[in-house]
Amino acid sequence: MTAPTTAGPFGALREQLTAAATAFAGSSQAVSDILAGIVDDVDRALGEELEIFPVCHHSPASALAMLRRLRAKQPRVIYLELCEDLQPLLGELRNCRLPVALQAFASQLDGFPADWGPLSVVAPITEASAEYQAIAYALETPGVELVLVDRSTDHVFQWLPRPPGTADDAPTGGDVEVAAPAGEEAALHGDAVGVELGDLRPRFAELEAYLLHHGKVRHWSEWWDQYVEQPLADADHDTYRQVMVLIGSLFRRLRPAGAERNDRDEDRERYMWTRMRQHLAASGADPADCLYVCGAFHAASRVEQFGLRADAPFEIGPRTGTRWHHGLIPSSHSAIEAQFGLAPGSVSIAAATWSKAVARTGLTPYRLEGQRGGRTRAGGRRRATPAAAPAAAVEDRLSGYLARPPAARGLDEAELRGWCVDIVRLARRNGYLASTADAIAVFETAILLAGLRNRARPTPYDFADAAVTCIEKDVVPGRRDVRRLCEILFGGDRVGQVGYEALPPLARDVHDRLAPLGLDLEKRTIQRALVDLRASPELVPCSDLLWRLRHLLPRDAVRPIMGERRLGQRSIQESWDLALGRSQRALIELGYEGVTVEQVLEQRLRRAVRGPDVTASVALEAVEDAVRLLDGPRLVEELGARAVELLAAERGVDDAPEVLRRIRRLLAHHRATGPLPAWCGAFVTTGYAHYCTLLPTAFLDGESGVRQVGAMLGFLFGMESLALSLGCDRSQLELAVAQSHPEAPAKVALLWAARHQLGLLPLAELRERCAALLANPLVVPAFPQYLSGFVQALEPVPALAPFVVEAMSSAFARLPDPVLLPWLPTLITTLREHGAELVPLLVREAGRTFPGSLPALDAWVPPWSAAAAPLPVAPAVASGPVTALLASHPESVDAVAALLGCAGGWRATDGGAAVPAGLTALLAAHPETTAALAALLETGSCRGED
Amino acid sequence: MSEMLRAPAEVKYAEELDYLESVDTDPKPFSWRLSPRMVRLFVLGSERADGLDREIPQKWFGDRTFVERSIVTLASDRGLLLIGDPGTGKSWLAELLAAAVCRNSTLVVQGTAGTTEDHIKYSWNVSMVIARGQSRESMIPSPIMTAMEQGTVGRFEELTRSTSDVQDALISILSEKYVSIPELDHDNIVFARPGFSIIATANSRDRGVNDLSSALKRRFNFVRIPVVTNKRSEAEIVRFRTEELLRRHQIALDVPPTLLDILLQSFADLRAAASAATSDDEKLESALSTAEQIGVLEDAILHSQFFGDRTLRAATLAGSLVGSLARRSPEDLAILNKYLHGVVEPRAKQDSGWEGFLDGGRQAIAALS
Repeated sequence: MTAPTTAGPFGALREQLTAAATAFAGSSQAVSDILAGIVDDVDRALGEELEIFPVCHHSPASALAMLRRLRAKQPRVIYLELCEDLQPLLGELRNCRLPVALQAFASQLDGFPADWGPLSVVAPITEASAEYQAIAYALETPGVELVLVDRSTDHVFQWLPRPPGTADDAPTGGDVEVAAPAGEEAALHGDAVGVELGDLRPRFAELEAYLLHHGKVRHWSEWWDQYVEQPLADADHDTYRQVMVLIGSLFRRLRPAGAERNDRDEDRERYMWTRMRQHLAASGADPADCLYVCGAFHAASRVEQFGLRADAPFEIGPRTGTRWHHGLIPSSHSAIEAQFGLAPGSVSIAAATWSKAVARTGLTPYRLEGQRGGRTRAGGRRRATPAAAPAAAVEDRLSGYLARPPAARGLDEAELRGWCVDIVRLARRNGYLASTADAIAVFETAILLAGLRNRARPTPYDFADAAVTCIEKDVVPGRRDVRRLCEILFGGDRVGQVGYEALPPLARDVHDRLAPLGLDLEKRTIQRALVDLRASPELVPCSDLLWRLRHLLPRDAVRPIMGERRLGQRSIQESWDLALGRSQRALIELGYEGVTVEQVLEQRLRRAVRGPDVTASVALEAVEDAVRLLDGPRLVEELGARAVELLAAERGVDDAPEVLRRIRRLLAHHRATGPLPAWCGAFVTTGYAHYCTLLPTAFLDGESGVRQVGAMLGFLFGMESLALSLGCDRSQLELAVAQSHPEAPAKVALLWAARHQLGLLPLAELRERCAALLANPLVVPAFPQYLSGFVQALEPVPALAPFVVEAMSSAFARLPDPVLLPWLPTLITTLREHGAELVPLLVREAGRTFPGSLPALDAWVPPWSAAAAPLPVAPAVASGPVTALLASHPESVDAVAALLGCAGGWRATDGGAAVPAGLTALLAAHPETTAALAALLETGSCRGED
Repeated sequence: MSEMLRAPAEVKYAEELDYLESVDTDPKPFSWRLSPRMVRLFVLGSERADGLDREIPQKWFGDRTFVERSIVTLASDRGLLLIGDPGTGKSWLAELLAAAVCRNSTLVVQGTAGTTEDHIKYSWNVSMVIARGQSRESMIPSPIMTAMEQGTVGRFEELTRSTSDVQDALISILSEKYVSIPELDHDNIVFARPGFSIIATANSRDRGVNDLSSALKRRFNFVRIPVVTNKRSEAEIVRFRTEELLRRHQIALDVPPTLLDILLQSFADLRAAASAATSDDEKLESALSTAEQIGVLEDAILHSQFFGDRTLRAATLAGSLVGSLARRSPEDLAILNKYLHGVVEPRAKQDSGWEGFLDGGRQAIAALS
């Protein structure tokens, strides 16, 4: 650190400020320390052998000054304040449409607490920024080297005191910002940590509030625009540099002491200077040919490592073992604003200001060859660049800047008029009743407002205020408000796009494989894909891929409108809504996990069954997904084996219904498609033994619900035949049921049903028990719970359906109204809560039991009461020669009866019933029919003989 | 002006306005008495940076932009419509602006269901008409017409309370800037002089009662004034207005800052409860505006002055709060009871300042139920 001197170019200014401080504060100490210190900082930064170029983010003035300086100086080496590990990505920028963000991403952490993951850092790049000018110049000019010198992304997190995303980590406008996304475009960065070159903002809220209050502006971006941006827009290099360092130094000196962030800032400065010295030593470059681009805040650094001559050591710590993936993701103006706490619309305004400044000054900005989007063509390289100007001695330009009011550029009437007309047109299009009269009013109000706020010309912010005043009359939900329309007017939100070449292999692969669909998937609109798999079977792989993407990407990225894919079921036609262009970030981040979608899916499925809280049903779901989406028997086998493991290790039965549903589906699928895989057999036998073991506890345990126990029984009875064929023993189940002594009425009913299924409880006894329950007024209130148990029993014992209908009907029949009526709502809620999916079965059975029409009801006798009456013994019907034949030769019938175990003998027939007399008379009176029939029979027999 | 119960702003701040006029060097639009910048300074108060010899206190508390937009509208061709919830200070801002611009804030038409077109244009002194016939002398100009003749600011309070046909009488006044008097044969047009403008206020809760026609909307610039939710500015407003009231009642009584905090906090709590409520029965009928707070405080102060020991206590404050906010007998009381026992009681256990408030509130509710 250099000692303050009174000599040098800034001596006069220093004296003047010290005198002012003495006059204002009464003592020269505190204030003059700051004021003189600021001048010292400027002096030191400008006196540094390596040229320091201070910048501010999203500042067109910085970009313009950078452009001028690059043209004048033509440096051979540029040091840039950006994470050093992002360097390889810079070349890919040319394939993208800006704004995009450089991203470093890590999902498998090593050296960081596991709950921090996944870690993500983004550094957005816009076209109207100084860093883009530097990058474009360096990459397009042969022989120029660009070196990123800031700490690596790994160090970003190493130096974070808290996990990313926790509150009060970064105060407003910090260089490390955690996104708080609002809208869809604003959420483009996800929850990444943002790093940005050239953050310049007061470091404590009071200072910012003070500046805003006295600047009579509402937002920091507005203050910056008015007091720094505009005065510096056409400033020469020296003035620009001195003013920027001055502001950086001001904010640096006016900041809360002892904040963790200060240490981080200073560590970064040490890091950068160390890296630059290392590079210079290694490459032997001449410092005069180098340019160090950093935020103005860091230009005013006072760390002992500052400067090329300094030799204070700084130990750069090693990176952790975390493996970082790097890539580009699309960004947008609103995402940048949301991430870095800028005023809505400010980045768009900066972009508009930049293009206007470029047009006004006639300068050609540097551009990466082949850069997509934007208006100007690349030209920086082609035009003959003037020879580098020799460095001039430092002169004091600050005194002039500080003493003069900002040179007011006059009112640009044509521009303002254009804005007014456009905003009215835009407002009309958005449903406002705006007219030319409003345009005139906005024009007048904007000028008056600017006058009231001491501005020679209305800023975009004044204009927006004027437009709101004159046009907005109502707040209509869903309609864009006028302020938002103004943002759109000033360029609107621009959303970047990562070009095909810059995409990770996975994303490129996806685009290649979806090419047969014939859609432009880079568009940000939703694309409708119609896939007719029968007519064009070559699209089957596309459909497969789309289903896999559906599983991996956010819900709205790939959405099936028609068609589904379930186990063993494929649609012939599918229709998809694809929004891959809009979900580029998700696709790119998928690319960090693997090279193909299949690989990522496989990894995800494997990971899904390995977690600490995974249950058997989750594993079965993974198996189902693997069968449905990948169809790799090996993976299915592996996941299935894991499911068996998980099932055996499970202590609770909460998942039983889910497990039952899934394994049934999988078994049905496998049975239909080929031999049963080994894991299925293992799952069934394990499950059989497992659920038998848990059954008595589950029956007794208040924690396990009726549904769960019902599902367990469903598993045991439903899989029984398979389990027995695979070597299980039924006695295990019988013992388990015998050990069960439930107390809850619903479970008692379930147990009865189970015993009935096992043949231990005949239906008649079951019926008796129910009747006893209904007859006992003390138990009647609990009857619905029994009923609920019976309904659940339909799952394991479907044959019980007639009985359940019977029980319910008898409840209705036998309960007195005072008990029945309050009971009905309970019945309905119980059914809905515990047996929603079984109710259809019940209704079907009831439909079969009850009469279908009203008249039939009168004669209807319930089957159960009918069954109770003894069957009347029907007299043996004489049916002509058949009976006669059987009666005359009874041996065969007796043998069959003996075989079937039927006792009883032959009943005598009444020996040929008399033919009714009326019938004989009728036939005698009209013999034609009989004769014709006889003739027909005769002819038939004759033909038969032929 | 001690004989006035409430002096209008131009009288109350006459000295300040005189001073500002004397130091004002900026150009003034039309016949304005102050330049726009000075108007802003009068309303929002001065700062050191303004370089004035004396301090001008802040009189209206709210976002600076609203004031700027209002001033600019007055200088333009359109009328100004201040719109917002009851108690957000619309009328006060209108009064201050009129006082600063033309030193006359009393040209007011109050919009009611009974307001007729005569109140906006002119009416006749019937006995004079019988005696002398129709002439300018027997005509009674409305406040708006007076403002036109003088080139000053006319005010229209609660614009949306008056019926649509009455509102529409303003259309021609705002666009042609004259009123014709067809009853007279000569001298039958009153032209507005430069500087004439209208400040109207409208209650956003009255939306839909008498909606403005699009033609009238077009002639007004709308400035929407939100409810103050910033605790600091709210404290400022309450303190400012209460001091004024105390002065008016000539009461020397201190409002302890802790009590002010309790008042602000209780309103903030009740507002939060109201916004969380799902039906009208679950929220208080009151809008819980800043004006309501001032009312509660004033009530408490008067109560302690005349029936208490001339010291403002938390219990009195709670009593006033319950008294002012409980408008519907079962619903509002139930909400306040829930608030006292659910929110205040736990707080009183930690902070003794709230104990008195709790007791007072309980007693007041017990007395009402």
